[in-house]
Amino acid sequence: MKEGNKLNTGQIPTWCPGCGNYLVLEALKKAFSDLNLNPKDIVVTYDIGCAGNMVNNLNVCGFATLHGRSIPVAVGIKMANPKLTVIAQGGEGGVISEGGNHLIHAAQRNDNITVIINNNFVFGLTAGQASAATPKGLKTKSTPEGNPHEPLSGIDIAAVSGATFLARTLASDLEKTTEILKQAIKHKGFSLVEIIQPCVIWVKEYEDWKKDIKYFEKPFKEIKEIIGRKNYLGILFVNQ
Amino acid sequence: MKEFFAIKISGPAGTGIIQAGETFSKALNRLGFYTLVYPEYPSRIRGGDNNVQIVFSPEKVFAPQTKIDLLLAFDQQCFSNHEKEVKKGGLAVDFSKVDLKIEQDLAKNSAALGFLWKILGLDIGALQKQIKEDFKVNQNILELNLKAVETGYGRGEAAGLSLVGEADKNILNLTGNEALVKGILAGGCEFAAIYPMTPINSILTFLAQEKSIILFRPEDEIAGICSAIGASYAGKRAMVATSGGGFSLMVEGLGMAGIAEIPIVVILGQRTGPSTGIATYSSQADLKFAISAGQGEFPRIVLAPGDLAELYQTGTEAFNLAEVYQVPVILLADKYLAESRFSLSEKGFQKIKVSVNRGKLFNYKNYNHYNRYQITPDGISPRAFPGQTTFLTNSYEHDEKGFSVEDKETRDKMMAKRMKKLAGLAGGYEVYGKGNGTILVSWGSTKGALLGFIKKHPEYNLIHFWRVWPFPKKAEEFLKKSKKIIVVEANFSGQFADIIEQKIQRRVERVLKDDGRPFFGEEIEKLIANCK
Repeated sequence: MKEGNKLNTGQIPTWCPGCGNYLVLEALKKAFSDLNLNPKDIVVTYDIGCAGNMVNNLNVCGFATLHGRSIPVAVGIKMANPKLTVIAQGGEGGVISEGGNHLIHAAQRNDNITVIINNNFVFGLTAGQASAATPKGLKTKSTPEGNPHEPLSGIDIAAVSGATFLARTLASDLEKTTEILKQAIKHKGFSLVEIIQPCVIWVKEYEDWKKDIKYFEKPFKEIKEIIGRKNYLGILFVNQ
Repeated sequence: MKEFFAIKISGPAGTGIIQAGETFSKALNRLGFYTLVYPEYPSRIRGGDNNVQIVFSPEKVFAPQTKIDLLLAFDQQCFSNHEKEVKKGGLAVDFSKVDLKIEQDLAKNSAALGFLWKILGLDIGALQKQIKEDFKVNQNILELNLKAVETGYGRGEAAGLSLVGEADKNILNLTGNEALVKGILAGGCEFAAIYPMTPINSILTFLAQEKSIILFRPEDEIAGICSAIGASYAGKRAMVATSGGGFSLMVEGLGMAGIAEIPIVVILGQRTGPSTGIATYSSQADLKFAISAGQGEFPRIVLAPGDLAELYQTGTEAFNLAEVYQVPVILLADKYLAESRFSLSEKGFQKIKVSVNRGKLFNYKNYNHYNRYQITPDGISPRAFPGQTTFLTNSYEHDEKGFSVEDKETRDKMMAKRMKKLAGLAGGYEVYGKGNGTILVSWGSTKGALLGFIKKHPEYNLIHFWRVWPFPKKAEEFLKKSKKIIVVEANFSGQFADIIEQKIQRRVERVLKDDGRPFFGEEIEKLIANCK
């Protein structure tokens, strides 16, 4: 087996054709190899949902947890063994809707973990209902008249709660996603990476998110410059 | 002296009533008396009526009483609240009417202790020694309290009692929570996640002073159990402590520990429910909840210690059971047991054996074909920790490797594997008494009152369950042979009685109460007599 394939499990992913999760999986594997991490020293705690199904496809110490609870499980793991690289994954439904309280407090405590939000704008695996981060006006199975609420931003919540590393990236940009994940993992303290990956089944006609997206090479100095800017991409804020 | 003596001290919250109970009982222990201190307090920080009942005797004390010999109340309101509880020939004192000149109101509780001490005709040296012990951290406060004791003692009048303890006894005085914490620490607990909730708050306070423990103060009980599961998965002996409301939030985590086979200890200090209920009062109504909480079926162990020694022993053993069987272990206590002060001889405590057993662990020889959920004859698979090798842990149904699966063959196999893990579990109960008549049944904190009862009525036997789930098999045989069975428990419907009836296929008698209070000594006499 080639060195780079150590992270493969030989299982076939269950995602739909064209799903952003294929690229997220690639970016994670690339980031782990580039950082020269031993798979046995990496823990990924998975939420429930499409992206969480990655548990079968990444050969690290994977732990499929509960909906909304990948963060508190990760926090306990890191407290018990600080030598481990600990990553908590979840969709926007898991991290922002169901597990919002954990996001706030892990950011407040600056827990030394990396949180990935796989933001596909809907509850995908339950077949397309609106989540807390569904864009306003979007028609979904649970909002046939259009979502009446402004979406919540995981980055905004984490920023005002005290997170020390904030980044947003597109799943389609494998290279930048990989680099951002590497920086997030290396960061000492709470790091959050929001990966925008609109669901290819339930929101495939929604294109507005592409409007005005801007990539920034350097992080901003203050969080107020990024609050409310859902179109900003890149490493947006770092406080060492 | 008579069998025992019961005192009640009552005053508004914030006047040091709970502290007075501790100091008073420990001073009594110094004179060779066994003590039981039962506190009642409302859910408020200042005002109202906090009270402690202190029962003491040269012999072991089993239960608080409905009637008391001596009342000391700090104000008129507290006096009228409890005046009727004083026995005929007893004494009731409204302490606000006693002319005292103490420097600060802060030490009024110590003055009250001095006053009572004089009435009881006890050696003031023992009380002074205890005051010195309790206030040793601050010389000024210590002197204030010593003076107050003297002032109070000077105002009291000896009632002509002759109370004599067994002076050479080394008596330990602990709250249930204190004994439990000693057990937890002896059991090698390394991680605790606790969100405050009555009646387990003092567990958090004690562990906060303990350097050997990683203490997490989570944002909610969900994070509490999930972080503890994470810590256990990463190799630490981990626990949470909560009451019914917090446990309700933990239920999804409990199931995850069940299917993912992660050891976890949950201390569940029951209080009066449902919902907010009576927040600072006791109950045994979470038994069926603890036994069945969670969707689906998974093995779990539910322990129900009944006194200080059992709290210590099960506090230790809970971690062994959790790790050996890789299951959640729920330790059921209640407010009465957790926050009352009990006493026992030091020797009784030292006899308890403690050893750490971590169960089956990963062996590096199997590095290349390690399966976290390997099928084994006893259903228990060796446990690896992250950092040793890669492996998968899963709340989904999974195969031996931990991969998520949905096929029926694997599902059947894995359910069978998990559900047989506890087959080897032995013990779980104790039989007391030499009678051959009626069998009384206790679980958890009702043990004390019933031990007191059978001491007076040796024709009765007691079977006490310190493990309620899985139901001890041998106890089933024992109960089937018994003629008459009376189950005594502090809940409305008789939850353990239901379980026993199901096990032995026969009706049992029920002695129940669900008013937030423990079974009092005289009360248990009447209730059991009514069963005839």
